[in-house]
Amino acid sequence: MTVKIEVIQGGVPHNTILVKGLVASLVFIYLTYLNTLLPAGSPPYFAFFGGLAAVAALWWGSHTIKHLCSYGIGTGVPSAGMMSFGSGVIAMLLATQFGVGAPIVAVVLAAVIGAILGFVANNVLGMKIPVMIQSIIEMAIIGALVLMGLAALMTGGFTFQSLVTGASLPLAGILNVPNYMGSVIGGCLLAVAFMLGGIAIQHPFNACLGPNWTQDRMLILALECGFLSMLMAAIMSIGLIDTGAALISVIIAFLGWIYTYDLFFKLAKRDAAAWLDSKPIPEVEGH
Amino acid sequence: MTAIAAKPASGASLNPVASGIGIVVLIILIGIMYAIGGQIALIALIGIIVGGLLIAFGVHFVPVGGAPAAMGQAPGIATGVAMLAAGAGLAGLFGGAWAWAVQTNPDLLVAVITGGVGGGLMMAITCFFVNFIYIFGMGIPAASGKVKVDPLTGDTQPEFKSQGTEGHGLPFISFVGGVIGGIFGGAGGTLIYLMLLNVYQEVLPKMTVFDKAGAAGVLPIAISLAGIFAVGMFLINAVLAAYNITGTIEGPHDPKFKRFPRALIASAIASGLCGVAALAIVFVPV
Repeated sequence: MTVKIEVIQGGVPHNTILVKGLVASLVFIYLTYLNTLLPAGSPPYFAFFGGLAAVAALWWGSHTIKHLCSYGIGTGVPSAGMMSFGSGVIAMLLATQFGVGAPIVAVVLAAVIGAILGFVANNVLGMKIPVMIQSIIEMAIIGALVLMGLAALMTGGFTFQSLVTGASLPLAGILNVPNYMGSVIGGCLLAVAFMLGGIAIQHPFNACLGPNWTQDRMLILALECGFLSMLMAAIMSIGLIDTGAALISVIIAFLGWIYTYDLFFKLAKRDAAAWLDSKPIPEVEGH
Repeated sequence: MTAIAAKPASGASLNPVASGIGIVVLIILIGIMYAIGGQIALIALIGIIVGGLLIAFGVHFVPVGGAPAAMGQAPGIATGVAMLAAGAGLAGLFGGAWAWAVQTNPDLLVAVITGGVGGGLMMAITCFFVNFIYIFGMGIPAASGKVKVDPLTGDTQPEFKSQGTEGHGLPFISFVGGVIGGIFGGAGGTLIYLMLLNVYQEVLPKMTVFDKAGAAGVLPIAISLAGIFAVGMFLINAVLAAYNITGTIEGPHDPKFKRFPRALIASAIASGLCGVAALAIVFVPV
C-alpha cells in the first residue's frame, strides 16, 4: 500500500464526472431561460435551476481540484479555488454580453483563458505537471459556470441586462436610489457569489484529503457545500426577485443541504473506523 | 540587498521557447485591444499589465510559510500565498479606491501610493502579530534557515535555529520583505482597479443598456465591475507567482527570490489576457 495518490483507484473516472458536471450545469443554466417564456410580469419561478447548475459545477470542480492537487502543487488547495474563480469571473462577465448564447460563450471563453493560463503555469513557470493545463481549463469553466448559475439564481436571468437591472423594491422610488445600485453587479453581490463558490470548490478536497480519502464522501461533501452556497445566494435573491420565486430557491437549497449533510455524516461515520497503514510523506521537490 | 540584482539561478532558468511564445501572445493581445478599443483601451491595458507585474513581483517579497510555518518548522507567515496576497491586495485596493474617490481632482499617483500604503500597513500588522504569537505564544525565536546572517541587521541566525527545522518565526529581513511585498501588491491592485474604472466610467454611459442612466447612474456598475475584475486579476497573478516559488518563500534573501523574472513574464501574459477580456466587456456588446 502506497500513499502516492496521484492515480485515482476505483470509483468513478474523472472524465465521467467532467462530462456529467458540464452537461448538467449547462442544462440547468439554460432551464432558467424558461423564465422568459412565462407570461409577462410573472415572477421568475425557474430561477432555482441556476443554483442547481452551480451545485453541479461545484460537484465536478471538487474532483478537478483533487485531480490537480494530488500532484502536490505546493501552494495549498485554496489557491486552486481562487485561481478557478479569478479566471472564471472574467470569462463569465464578458460572456454575459452575448445574450442567450452566454453559457456556451462562457465555457468557450473560460477554456481559452484557462488554456493560456495553464500554458503559462506549466511551461513559462516550469511547473511540468501533466494534468495542469487540462485542470486549469476545467477550473476556469467551473468558475464561470458557478458564477453564472448563482447570478441566474439571484436574478432569474444570465444576460448582462438582467445582471445590471436593479430590484423593483417598493422603497426604491421613495429613497431615489439609482436603479442599477440594487443589482447583482451594481450591489456587488457577485463578489459574495465569488467567495461562496471559491470556498465551496476547494473545501471538499481540503477537508477529505489524506490516506483516508474516499471519492463518494468527497463528492457528497461537495454537494453539501454547493447547496449551502446556493442557500446563501437564494437568501440574497429575496432582495432582487419576487419573494415567492426566491422562497422556492431557499426551500430547495435547504432540503438539498439537509439531505446531503445527512448523507455526508453517514459516510464520515462509515470511513472513520477505517485505518490505513500510511508510509511517511514522500519528499516533494522544491522544499 | 544584493538578492534583488541577482541573476536567475540555473535551477530556475527561463524556458526560452515558452517565454517567446508567451510574449508573442501578449503582443497579439495588445494589438487586438488597440483594434477594438482604440487608444483609451490601449493605455488602460498597459496600466493593467504594469499592475500585474507589481503584484507578481510583490508576492516574491512576502514571507509565506504555509503549513510547516504553522507548526513552527519553517519561517514565514503560517498561511498560503492566495490568502496573504488577497489580504494585502484587497486592503490596498480599498485604500486606493478611497483615496481616488475622496479627492476633488483625482490624482493617479496619490491613489496608487495610498493603495501601496494600505497594503504595506496590512502586511506590517500581520507580520507583527505573527511574530508576537510565535515568540510569546509558541515560545520560539525568529531565525532564518536560508542565510547565516540577516542581510539588514547583521544578526547571526544558526544559533537560534532548532534542529530538524528550516528556521522559524519572522526574522527582521522577512518582516521588511513582507511590508515591501504589501506595498507592491496594494499599489498593483489599485492601479488595475483605477485603469478599469476610468475606462468603464468613460464607455459605460454610451452603451445601449444604460441609455437613460448617465454618468452618475452607471457609477455603481463601473465601480463594482472594476472591483471584481481587479480582485480576479489579483488572485490570478498571486497564484501564478505562488506557483513560481512552489508555495513557500522566506523573503527577499531566499534563493527562490531569484526566480522572479519568470514570474514577471508569466504575469505580463496573464494580466494582458485578463485585461483584454475585462476591457472587452464594454467594447463588444452584442
